[in-house]
Amino acid sequence: MSEPSASPSDEPEEQQAHHANFATRAGSWLRETISDVGPGLFIILAIEIVVFRFLTPYFFTISNFFAIGKRMAITGIMAAGETIVIIAGGFDLSVGSVAAAASTGAAYVLERTGAGMLGGVATALGIGLLVGLVNGAVTGYGRINPLITTLGTLAIVRGVAFVMTNNRQIDVKNPIFRQLGKGFTRESWDFVIPYSVLFLIGVFLLFGFIIPRYRFGRYMYAIGSNERAASLAGVRVNRWKLVFFGVCGMLAGMAGLINAFQLVTVAPSYNSGDELEVITAVILGGASLLGGRGRLLGTFLGLFFISTLLNGLILTGVSSFYQRIATGASLILAVLFDEWRRSRISRH
Amino acid sequence: MPENALELVDVQKSFGPLDVLRGVSLSVPAAGCYGLVGDNGAGKSTLLKILSGVHPRDDGEIRIMGKPVDFQSALDARLAGIEMIYQDLALAEELDAASNVFLGREQYRGWKYPPFRWLDHKRMHKEAAAVLQSVGSKLSTNRQVKWLSGGERQLVAVARALEFDPSILLMDEPTAALSIEKVNEVNRLINRLKERGVAMILVSHRFTDLIQVADTIGVLVHGRIVDEFEVADQTTDEMTTRIVRLMGEADAGVPQ
Repeated sequence: MSEPSASPSDEPEEQQAHHANFATRAGSWLRETISDVGPGLFIILAIEIVVFRFLTPYFFTISNFFAIGKRMAITGIMAAGETIVIIAGGFDLSVGSVAAAASTGAAYVLERTGAGMLGGVATALGIGLLVGLVNGAVTGYGRINPLITTLGTLAIVRGVAFVMTNNRQIDVKNPIFRQLGKGFTRESWDFVIPYSVLFLIGVFLLFGFIIPRYRFGRYMYAIGSNERAASLAGVRVNRWKLVFFGVCGMLAGMAGLINAFQLVTVAPSYNSGDELEVITAVILGGASLLGGRGRLLGTFLGLFFISTLLNGLILTGVSSFYQRIATGASLILAVLFDEWRRSRISRH
Repeated sequence: MPENALELVDVQKSFGPLDVLRGVSLSVPAAGCYGLVGDNGAGKSTLLKILSGVHPRDDGEIRIMGKPVDFQSALDARLAGIEMIYQDLALAEELDAASNVFLGREQYRGWKYPPFRWLDHKRMHKEAAAVLQSVGSKLSTNRQVKWLSGGERQLVAVARALEFDPSILLMDEPTAALSIEKVNEVNRLINRLKERGVAMILVSHRFTDLIQVADTIGVLVHGRIVDEFEVADQTTDEMTTRIVRLMGEADAGVPQ
């Protein structure tokens, strides 16, 4: 997408950039990304890292960054799906509930049916996909506001998880699950790479690959930008909403699955409130709640900011309760800064 | 006698108890320009929406090049060679100009089926630039529509309509939001399209703009065409008097 701050005077330069060499293209990609995500996030993220770097010697180590990554993995995978839905002009509040239902569902199936690891994985992803498709169908074909739809499924899905398990914790004993909850290391390394971080990076790379290359990404921005225009151009909007919400649900299911990998026991009450952190990350990453605008990389950085904040506060011995205050404050400040900047650029 | 590009026979449409179109018949020859005049609520927009596949008709027949057609969706109409330019232009602001031109009909490269085919950005930008040039614009196809001026947006909408060589072009109030200077530009464009052999229906409540480009004028009042005449046969004053009188009667609520 072209750089929003482009003025008519640098137009020829931009046109050339289309055919220019790799360095120029990488440069303009970086400019566009910073502009789309909003420099506000980059600034507070840089400040955050520098401050913690000087406050504690443990912060700026490889092993600590993997610890942050592990903390990010579950909400991060949910946030990838949320980004897709929000760019497409939707909203999904049910991701935390879906993750909880998926992890308890998977553990339940493993315990009760003796199904193998694949049975557990299929259950978790299936629950996610099913709820996502319901969300998509109700908002698309049913024309119900996504906020209302997913507020409803948020309650229903968690309720079903409580009923099915009778609010009981379930042990996750499957050896492959237990193994996938860990990580791998070498003798010469003084850190462990958690598998969850690989899943997280894999999800972002996969959608980072898909979005610019396929209709999926094109229609995601088009529908979020102007649903009526997309529909008049022949885009089957409701069908695509099924796809976007379905993907979001399935990623929430995957997040629940990773939770089941990592935890010895799962319970239907887990992951409540995750949706707030997920949505905070997406907005911090520059996505617009009006749809049509946002970047996966922005969401990743937004969540990295939140997770680093918690990590740094713990390392410096500050009560983690302050993390909530700091997250909320930085969300408002970053968005205020970007709005202020946008209103200065915009000539409309 | 050349076949008509577009023919409507007794097309009817009602929304619940409201009869919006009460039997509209008209025909447009290839390279012809039909101007439809009517007040708000006369049924102009409904007629265009039926022709562009947004609404199904209740009764009557639509023929393209003599062949009856039946549209289930906007895509059907586009595939049959009908393009529509909406009054608000219906552009996705966050997408760039090229993406808007190809919205809904993206070009691919690679193998035939997904996931082995992917968007051919290079080709879409090239073709979009070419079609923009053909309407006299050097607009960069990389620019997001939200940063374009009103005139540039209009050109993107026109380019989108022309990219797929339509045989019929529908324009809803093409000049309503434009300055006089821009109106002349649009009129030049319309004449260019006529030279290409495109049949057009222009809908407007500003008939003074219409009579500059249309070959035939139809006056739509309460869902019926109450008058139709060739622009070449009349002086501007005669036409003005005729249209004003009919619209005036409509305003006064006199049934036709």
